[in-house]
Amino acid sequence: MSFLCSAAGLLARVKLLEGSTTEQTRRNIKRWVSPTLRELAHRQKKLGPQKPERRAGFVEWNQRSELFAFSQRLGESFKVSQLQRAFTEKSFAQREEDRRRQLGIEESDLQMPHNSDLVEKGQHIAHAYVEAFLQHQLPKVPNDGHHAITSFLLSTETLAHVSSHLGTKDLIQSTVYPPSAESLAKSLYAVIGALASSSGIEKAFLFVRDFICTQLNQRDLLEVWTPQDPIQLLENICQERKLGEAEPRLLADCGKNTVLGAYQVGIYANRQLLGKGFGEDLKTATETAAIDALQSFFDTRDNRRPFDFSIHLKPKSVRLD
Amino acid sequence: MSNSHLFLKSGFPRAPLQNGVGRYVCQLQRITLKFCKNNGSSRGMRDFIENHLLDFAKENPGIVVYVKPRRHRTPVLVAEYLNGEREWMSCRNNTQEEISKWIDLLKTQNGNSSSLRLRKMWHTEVPSIQGPWTPFLLRSPEATGQTYPNAEASKPLDTPQTATEKLIELFRQQQLEAGEEAHDALNKKRAE
Repeated sequence: MSFLCSAAGLLARVKLLEGSTTEQTRRNIKRWVSPTLRELAHRQKKLGPQKPERRAGFVEWNQRSELFAFSQRLGESFKVSQLQRAFTEKSFAQREEDRRRQLGIEESDLQMPHNSDLVEKGQHIAHAYVEAFLQHQLPKVPNDGHHAITSFLLSTETLAHVSSHLGTKDLIQSTVYPPSAESLAKSLYAVIGALASSSGIEKAFLFVRDFICTQLNQRDLLEVWTPQDPIQLLENICQERKLGEAEPRLLADCGKNTVLGAYQVGIYANRQLLGKGFGEDLKTATETAAIDALQSFFDTRDNRRPFDFSIHLKPKSVRLD
Repeated sequence: MSNSHLFLKSGFPRAPLQNGVGRYVCQLQRITLKFCKNNGSSRGMRDFIENHLLDFAKENPGIVVYVKPRRHRTPVLVAEYLNGEREWMSCRNNTQEEISKWIDLLKTQNGNSSSLRLRKMWHTEVPSIQGPWTPFLLRSPEATGQTYPNAEASKPLDTPQTATEKLIELFRQQQLEAGEEAHDALNKKRAE
């Protein structure tokens, strides 16, 4: 039986072969695919590296729903017109106006709102809130430290980082794409300003707390701010608080006169140890010790109580002048 | 770990922009559903769009959903995340339940999680709050008042017993035993 089956199969195959000799052979991949792809690759190489395409230029793009989703994602309720304005840059608005003027549209319809006043407003709010937040969370740090930490939090890089992670990159209407760090930072300020004008200043404060102040989480404060002349600062503080004169003393040393020498210096005032530090020479060790003492004065040690990012500061305590 | 992991991107589990410290922001910003209107491989996708898509969009107002029909192509999900990542996923012959599960996965991650080898299951920016080690850390109290050079401190910690010392020790032990025997014998005589 099996023999019969195999014989039948062989006959069928022979028939097929005969058919194929008369017709053209079939290929699964068409013969034009490879040369076409090669030609396309060649042309692309000739064009050189291209700029990234604007996401807003894609077929699947709806600016209105993107703006709605932006506000919903952050759990805020913006006025759509305010938000649209916050993402329109001045240069873009001017270019658009020029284009419309060339098309012959009347002067009264030409006005395109842009974000420069919202930027100013937002900057003002963010600055005031960050300072109030630091005043509340780091009450012992002097003004210099507060200024340094504020300028870190409101630096263009930090703001651009925050802004791009909130998805503003695709929403910004600017003349260049991808938008520069400055325009990302400005658009974040404008979003804060738009939030203040659409749902109140307290919401704007919470926005600043949740997205800008949280950048301090797990950050080494010494990296953000180190006093310029720690020894002098320590002496001034000791004088102010009447702790007595601060004097450095050698606590221990090892490997003297070798490459791997290490010194440990303690800073005493009135026979009380204020702080101790180590270094490869006496000068560095004294400076480290002074910084250590300052850290304990300012309560900025690594093992300090972590920042409380859920506080509600009263609007009165935020100085908006 | 196999060899296929050698060229896989590696990293740590990280929440972008301290997400969740202030408030939680869903990291999926837009999703595009591409499908064919009459091909069989898109059937599950069509069912999903018909039955579940509106509910999904209502539940997640922060995610922009685009639906893009195209002829005779395989159904595809494209997810775009807030950190700029883009994930492409083929849903050929998937049922609507499978597709809603995949979309749930896309909603809860911040990039293609299977394309990242996790080096550790945790990460911290502050590995130690105790500061760096120095030679002066955890010193014994005796070491503070010592003057150098010091013969006691200069000795190596693990000097093995020399043969001579061993012999002397054995000899002493023998003597002691012998002495005890003599002592016992003396006691016996006294008792008699």
